[in-house]
Amino acid sequence: MEVSTHLRTRVRAGDPTAFAELFDSCAKAVYNHAFRLTADWSTAEDVMASTFMEAWRLRDRVDPEGGSLRPWLLGIATNTARNQYRSNRRYRAAANAAAAAELSVPDHAEEVAGRVDDRRLLARALTALAGLRRPEREVVALCLGEGLDYEAAAEALGIPAGTVASRLSRARGKLRALTRDAPTGPAAGTGAGTARKISRGKREGDRPGRQTRDDHAPVVRPAQGGNR
Amino acid sequence: MNANTSRQSPAERGEDSTLLSRTARDLPPGRHQFHKERLMAQIHQEERTTAPAAAPAPAPARAWWLRLPRPAITLPVTAAVVAASVVAVVLTSGREAGDPGLADGPVLTTTVGAASTKGVPQLLDRISLAAADASHPEVKPGQFVYVESRTAGTYLKTVDDKTTLASHALHRRQVWMSPDGTRGWLIDPAVNDGPEGETLSLPDEQGNTPEADLNGPSYDYLARLTTDPDALLAKIYKETEGQGNSPDQQAFTTVGDLLGESYPPAELYSALFRTAAKIPGVVVVQDAVDAAGRTGVAVARLDEASGQREEWIFDRKTYRFLGERTVQVEKRTGEDALIKPGTVTFTSAVMERAIVDAIKQTP
Repeated sequence: MEVSTHLRTRVRAGDPTAFAELFDSCAKAVYNHAFRLTADWSTAEDVMASTFMEAWRLRDRVDPEGGSLRPWLLGIATNTARNQYRSNRRYRAAANAAAAAELSVPDHAEEVAGRVDDRRLLARALTALAGLRRPEREVVALCLGEGLDYEAAAEALGIPAGTVASRLSRARGKLRALTRDAPTGPAAGTGAGTARKISRGKREGDRPGRQTRDDHAPVVRPAQGGNR
Repeated sequence: MNANTSRQSPAERGEDSTLLSRTARDLPPGRHQFHKERLMAQIHQEERTTAPAAAPAPAPARAWWLRLPRPAITLPVTAAVVAASVVAVVLTSGREAGDPGLADGPVLTTTVGAASTKGVPQLLDRISLAAADASHPEVKPGQFVYVESRTAGTYLKTVDDKTTLASHALHRRQVWMSPDGTRGWLIDPAVNDGPEGETLSLPDEQGNTPEADLNGPSYDYLARLTTDPDALLAKIYKETEGQGNSPDQQAFTTVGDLLGESYPPAELYSALFRTAAKIPGVVVVQDAVDAAGRTGVAVARLDEASGQREEWIFDRKTYRFLGERTVQVEKRTGEDALIKPGTVTFTSAVMERAIVDAIKQTP
């Protein structure tokens, strides 16, 4: 998704087709980001819709120079989700309930193992997010969920990049602690190669085994090397 | 995407993308188009009816945008009117049971007490004086602040497009936290996966001291906060700017969070109440019940956007802080209508606060 300064100019000018393009290219990202901040897919849809409407209202604050407008939209979505989940305990309650709901779906024999693992991974992600404080969760969602760099996340949140870096680092430590004792499902794609190098005592956890699990890797590695 | 930072190693991205890999999905079929068309319709309508507004202060998304399909109307319902509507207790099915170790509870309800602005400063003054009198011990390094509470909550849960009310049954919650906020432990069956609880400790890979802030204060942070109510309030407004449904409500909530699960030095504790007295819209509710069933008088504020009132409950004689709760007092529409007036969406009673020498140690 490459957004030109041209699109920024058109957005500032209030060109409706620019917003249509913006919606097409960013709706999914905003939706997913909102889910990570609300733990609820239907709320995430509401937040996504509100975000674009708010973006329309705030269009004249867009800097004509710059790259993708995605960080800007994700920042608006973050504020919108914040209003929805004023307190962290509400988020925790919802996230933990959603995680439990994912896990409590009965495992039918015909449900393929991959699907079951998907549910577990989603439940794990929600539980991990619920263990964070709101400012940490927002940084995690932006940087790890949507892959923004520190500068873009800083722009989205209106805070210094250094604060993003330290929050993310702190959140990582917490995530590590929160997910320490449980193995993940098959580590797909990018994560597997690196993660497998790490050997940890508890990687094959005590989860009731039903399907073969020969490819497990911990979600997070033990502390080492900074991200700076 | 196109913005990965060079300062995150590929390894870290890998591990992290695994953790969040299942939190990405497409919109349900047809919804992308539906929302796009609605956005375009709204843009066209706004273009016709209003000139492009010079947007005011850098405010974040307004609450009334949150639920777009609904008209942004604040119903002029007074608490007294709402009080007349008695709400039946709704039992949720335990089928999709909540967290392991904690059964779903019944939806908590209460009669909505009448609110009055009369006597607010006097009440807060008394509370503040009582708070200044109480002796709060100092926490030494190596020790832990222990807070035990009883808590319950009700929230909306959506499973496969079906939204229902769900509740956490009343349960005990125990928190240990080191004064610097870096080490801690939490036992709360509504949060934990297992009965032993979970760590709140923060190993920081760079050896940085984790920053405490108003949203996540450590004891040391609280001990350093100004006790001048005006300065404290200014700081709260500044640092919570853009959060919550309105600046005043967010300020009230922030003070409430500082009261709830903490053990601040007496001087600050007292100052918090003098600070609250300066927030517009604060009311007194004569009849409030905490999670442990203790009745008292409440200092409260209505969040206009959500129709929920946050109540801090105090002993009527000693003015000791008993706990806090959030009550739906105004009717809402759409999914939020499931939370009927009289529903207690959150309640927490402080049962014990102490300084202990180790995690998982109780007084």
